[in-house]
Amino acid sequence: MLATIPSASLLGVDGHPVTVEVQVANGLPCFAIVGLPDLSCREARDRVRAAIVSSDLPWQSRRVTVNLAPSGVRKGGAGLDLPIAVALLVASEVLRPAEVAGMAFLGELGLDGSLRRVPGVVPMVDALDEPAVVVPPACAREAAVVGRHLVRHARDLRELVGALRGQRAWAPLPAPPAGPPPAPVPDLADVRGQRLGRWALEVAAAGGHHLLLVGPPGAGKTMLARRLPGLLPPLGRREAVETTRIHSAAGLPLPPAGLVSEPPFRAPHHGASAASLVGGGSAGLRPGEISAAHHGVLFLDELAEFPAGVLDTLRQPLEEGVVRVSRARASVCFPARFLLVAAMNPCPCGEGSLPGRCRCEEVARRRYAARVSGPLLDRFDLRVLVEPPEVSELLPSAGVPALEGSEPSATVAARVASARASARRRGVVANADLPASCLDEWCPLSAEARAVLEARLRQGRLSARGLHRVRRVARTVADLAGREGSLSEEDVCAALLLRADLFPNGPVGP
Amino acid sequence: MTPRPAPPEAYAAALAALPGIGPARLLELVRRGPLAKEWAAVCAGGSGCEGGDGSDDPGDEPAAAFAVPRPAGNRSGAAQARAARRVDVAGRWRELRGAGIGVTYLGAADYPPRLRDDPSPPAVLFWRGDLGVLERDAVAVVGTRRATGYGRGVAHRIAHDLSGEGLCVVSGLALGIDGAAHEGALAARPGWTAGVAASGVDVPYPRRHAGLWDRVIDRGVVVSETGPGHPAQPWRFPARNRIIAGLVRAVVVVESHARGGSLHTVDAAAERGIDVLVVPGPVTSPASEGTNQLLRDGRAPVRHARDVLDELGRFPAWSGGSPPPAASGGAHRLDETTRAVLDAVDWTPTATAVVAERTGLGMGPLGVVLVRLESWGVLRGRDGWWERAGDAPRRARGEDERMV
Repeated sequence: MLATIPSASLLGVDGHPVTVEVQVANGLPCFAIVGLPDLSCREARDRVRAAIVSSDLPWQSRRVTVNLAPSGVRKGGAGLDLPIAVALLVASEVLRPAEVAGMAFLGELGLDGSLRRVPGVVPMVDALDEPAVVVPPACAREAAVVGRHLVRHARDLRELVGALRGQRAWAPLPAPPAGPPPAPVPDLADVRGQRLGRWALEVAAAGGHHLLLVGPPGAGKTMLARRLPGLLPPLGRREAVETTRIHSAAGLPLPPAGLVSEPPFRAPHHGASAASLVGGGSAGLRPGEISAAHHGVLFLDELAEFPAGVLDTLRQPLEEGVVRVSRARASVCFPARFLLVAAMNPCPCGEGSLPGRCRCEEVARRRYAARVSGPLLDRFDLRVLVEPPEVSELLPSAGVPALEGSEPSATVAARVASARASARRRGVVANADLPASCLDEWCPLSAEARAVLEARLRQGRLSARGLHRVRRVARTVADLAGREGSLSEEDVCAALLLRADLFPNGPVGP
Repeated sequence: MTPRPAPPEAYAAALAALPGIGPARLLELVRRGPLAKEWAAVCAGGSGCEGGDGSDDPGDEPAAAFAVPRPAGNRSGAAQARAARRVDVAGRWRELRGAGIGVTYLGAADYPPRLRDDPSPPAVLFWRGDLGVLERDAVAVVGTRRATGYGRGVAHRIAHDLSGEGLCVVSGLALGIDGAAHEGALAARPGWTAGVAASGVDVPYPRRHAGLWDRVIDRGVVVSETGPGHPAQPWRFPARNRIIAGLVRAVVVVESHARGGSLHTVDAAAERGIDVLVVPGPVTSPASEGTNQLLRDGRAPVRHARDVLDELGRFPAWSGGSPPPAASGGAHRLDETTRAVLDAVDWTPTATAVVAERTGLGMGPLGVVLVRLESWGVLRGRDGWWERAGDAPRRARGEDERMV
């Protein structure tokens, strides 16, 4: 007899509905899966059989054919184990079709019949239109994030059959585990000195401007960058769902409540491959680090140590906010709208941010600077030299409060939130997204500001594109100060301070 | 093969390019001269080269095999003679002339006069440009390649003013101070300057200075002991520095690290009894460590070109040289904030972050002041740092007793 059970499979960060059809017919005993299953999906045969047998459910020694429709699309992963098993139970008349009506199933089976978690539950559940969905207990909160379905779960196949037959009640949705509280985000108040660095961080958070921190080892670049997530506003509902989908598809651990509500912070090591960064891979198209940082921060420490080819793959996503990964058998589009923060040394010896201090050969310096291509460098609206704090800042003298002057993250975050609110009134998420055509409308220049920029342009120290970027940053500076209207000289000069030409190729000379 | 008749310079160039002849041996041959005769002797294999192992293949292109100086007896006279007989002396000479490369040798009429009495003169010099500029009074302006803006600025200014006084500014065509010195000299009129290269005169090194080489050749001369087509090798730089010292009446060291190539030039100058003048630098700056040590050791400090001319015993009708960049700054009155920002910026590069820390100003006001001071020429800003670029503007013009 024939049974069909709705389920879904994952491609990239999108779920696709899959109908699992099982036919049990007379003939030589056989168990075949058709409909382009990949290797892990084909192995479902052995798992399903073992799970059914060890759950003391009847196994049909007949001809069993499983079809995964649409049969032209390749399916991967173990998430179809459970729907295959349930369809088989229906086809072999252990369950009645009415008992599973309106239900979709997702999950991997253990040999003992237990239900195990699978990655990508959020996008897969999102792709399903059935009113109820049955998932492994470990995925129940994740599935509930979508919010459109009645989420059911069962520990193992026997419990599931009991619940489906109405012999026992469905287990309630598990409460979020009261695990250890999440590690606190490091606070800006811990940073001594670094007025310029902290301020650059604030502008980056408020305007979504990509930030490059350059400085000697131990100057505090990494310390600053790690405090950026604490300044960003929490994700809105739509952004949170988008980010959760990606994290779910990438198999990343989700917060206990299921929804990623804080901006993610991803810091891949410089050994990262291009595929791990932008996504892809041969075993299923998995989102990369830049997509995991969607609506959050991508921090590349030791930027110059990343292979140049890997870094240049970032250029297109930085521009478009999505990355298209095409492979021979599929092409997917991963969202990747992130705030890029990078840190690097000025030269191999690390001391060369100021002339005269460096121990490197000129050739070595140039080779080092050339590792980060000009076009990528150009994407950084904010480029700041970070200097180690002076002794008096590290060890304040007696009687002076230790952290005086160091604002806590919460205070800065409030200013950032109001600046972002101003940006939203202009129809963008952050000022960095302001289109060039709208700059005259939203970033008009006062007479003094115009004079400063004009002088820079005439000296050839500012390009046309650079001008746009300075105006956007200046807009953010003004927003942070709560100034409306045209940009003042202060706003523009402050923006210029944050835009050092760190690796100029100009001639050496006075 | 009997060599065809060619000028002695042609034989000098041919001898210099011959494998197995190092600077010392070449000097011996050139001193013994006439060169045509010495060349014939080398071709005959009887030039007095004591037998060696003879294992070195002279190669097809003799010039290509010329690398490190070897003791003269290390190569068999026969092998050298074979190599020499293959050389078309007149043809090579025509090639050199065609490339605009001149040759002079110790004893030739156009050989730089100051080098004739040198304890270790270069036997053969290749040159491009006008060798005549070396007959003038010359001053070397040298220093570190890893120079600060201060050092480059001072080198530029001193070289500019010396060149404006009709002196020839000699330097090593390197990055940093050397480059700034050549640029400074070229910016003046008549702008005579000479570059002494460690590579062949047709091989600009560093390559970034190829444009500078052309301009130096245009207005002065580039000379080198190294044969055309040869790259700079590490041992050539000290050898180059001795030529710089030998060509000049005084050496001005602008910036030098504790151990730097310019200290070779100082040593070579000391051997020759040539004045060494030193530009003082901040005691905190590593780029001035070597120069400040020289001052401590008793060398004469110099502040500007006039000090150099004083040392040379020239007392020109000094007009003041190049105007200080801050000349216009005097007109600006400084308020409290501007003064505070100016005080927070050192004479050596100071990171924006440090200025922000020292002043405690908000970024907006700080940016306004820094940009304004830069537009007045009081500060120079670059790459995320700032440095003082000229004299601070006075509060009132009456106080102005600027010297230069």
